[in-house]
Amino acid sequence: MNVLNFNPKHCERIRSQLDAYLSDELLVETTSEVLNHLETCEDCSRELDSRTRVREALRRAVAKQSCPEGLREAVHERLRAAQSGYFMGLRITSWAVAVAALALVMFAGAASQQWLRVRRGRLLVSSVLALGVSDHVQCAIKGHNYPEVANPPDQLRAKLGPEYAGLLQVVGARLPGFQVLEAHICSVPGSPRKYVHFITRGRGTILSVILTKRERESLPAGRFLVAETSGGINLYKAHMDEMDVAGFESKDYFGFVVSDLGQNEVLQIATRLAPAVRNALAETIGAAESEAPVPVLYPDRVLRGILDTTERTGATGAGRIGGSGRLEC
Amino acid sequence: MFYRPKIRVEDFEAAAMPHLADLYRSASLLLRDASQAEDLVQEVYLEAWKSFHRFEPGTNCRAWLFKILFHRLHHLRRRLIKASKVEGFASPTDQDNIVAEPPVPQEIRDDDILLALEKVPVEFREVVLMADVEDFSYKEIANTLKIPLGTVMSRVSRGRKLLRQELADLARDYGIRSEDEDARKGGSA
Repeated sequence: MNVLNFNPKHCERIRSQLDAYLSDELLVETTSEVLNHLETCEDCSRELDSRTRVREALRRAVAKQSCPEGLREAVHERLRAAQSGYFMGLRITSWAVAVAALALVMFAGAASQQWLRVRRGRLLVSSVLALGVSDHVQCAIKGHNYPEVANPPDQLRAKLGPEYAGLLQVVGARLPGFQVLEAHICSVPGSPRKYVHFITRGRGTILSVILTKRERESLPAGRFLVAETSGGINLYKAHMDEMDVAGFESKDYFGFVVSDLGQNEVLQIATRLAPAVRNALAETIGAAESEAPVPVLYPDRVLRGILDTTERTGATGAGRIGGSGRLEC
Repeated sequence: MFYRPKIRVEDFEAAAMPHLADLYRSASLLLRDASQAEDLVQEVYLEAWKSFHRFEPGTNCRAWLFKILFHRLHHLRRRLIKASKVEGFASPTDQDNIVAEPPVPQEIRDDDILLALEKVPVEFREVVLMADVEDFSYKEIANTLKIPLGTVMSRVSRGRKLLRQELADLARDYGIRSEDEDARKGGSA
């Protein structure tokens, strides 16, 4: 190479262009000028060679840097996870969507069936509890069929008859703070249904304990319906016609505690009373009762039976009984 | 008009995965931490996948990925600088003090040049890597780093010079004479 460099300033200017030249970023005219200079200047040519060598060394060294083995797979996995249509690493296909939709429909169906069962169950519970409320309102409240001073126990036992006389002591013992004013067998006009009715007074109000024979009816079980369980007996509560009622059933009887003390208070009293009443009824009547809770049983015919009875007697609530208030005691 | 065609991850991978190694190497050399680089690259691919619907087929997928890489890298560096864990940008005035052209060893070992590169401030290191290793044009670099073209030119130039300086320093430390020194010795003899 002919090396004749007589112009250091020109070299300086060319060297300032060398990086752009190396990156092929110069205009054609400038590139030509640089090339012309390099052909005649050994120093600048060596400088370019030096820079080129560093550049090539850098490319080579970086290219040898290996990519971690697991990186590709890690990226792949993260992309799959992030991909729409994937859930927990599984691809959601149309059939999966269909299965999910079917499951949803089945769930909705089951839920609506359950809701219907609960609704029917509540209707049945209300109908049964209304029996107790109607007798309490009709006989004790409207009829005022109790004395201001409690009748003697012997007289009450006589009214109850030998079948239920033994219950007087049970009711008296299980209702601390209440005095049994009256006990009798009564009925509501227009209905053959008989009620064993204990009228008590305590805590500033009147409270009735009422028993009536079950026919084919049965109170339904289920956690949405049962308010409390005591000694294997399911207890139910309701507030109707301004009265609070708690009800239960034994083998052959429905039992009710009715007052205006508040639902929880009445339920507590019924909880204490129910097992003892059940046992007393079993002893008195001589029929052993099962300890097991009554199974769910409220087919249409049973519900119809209850509703027929309450409609016939007008006992869907004390307010609907009618104005006569006459009792057949 | 609201319909957006479904994009398959396979299509994205076909376009983007070939550049994985390049992205990792750049991330690794800029962060100087292999583990952080791996995480960063994964994040880049996730972000790229999420915005792949905006990517125009036929345009430069590699440049697009690098743009995301540098965007995330700068974000990461800003966070780390706040925590005073990494170097900040070198002061340009420091670089102005480099006047003499440093002599470069004739034989450049891979380890040496990578070690020298590590010592180059990151703002220069990134443009040198993009220009000399990844072969991006100055315009692409300016677009990716969102800096003026003139700044790219000056940083490339200064970055390369710093790299040569570091290499020369290493060579001096090793007692290796550069070819220039040899030439000078030969000339004076």
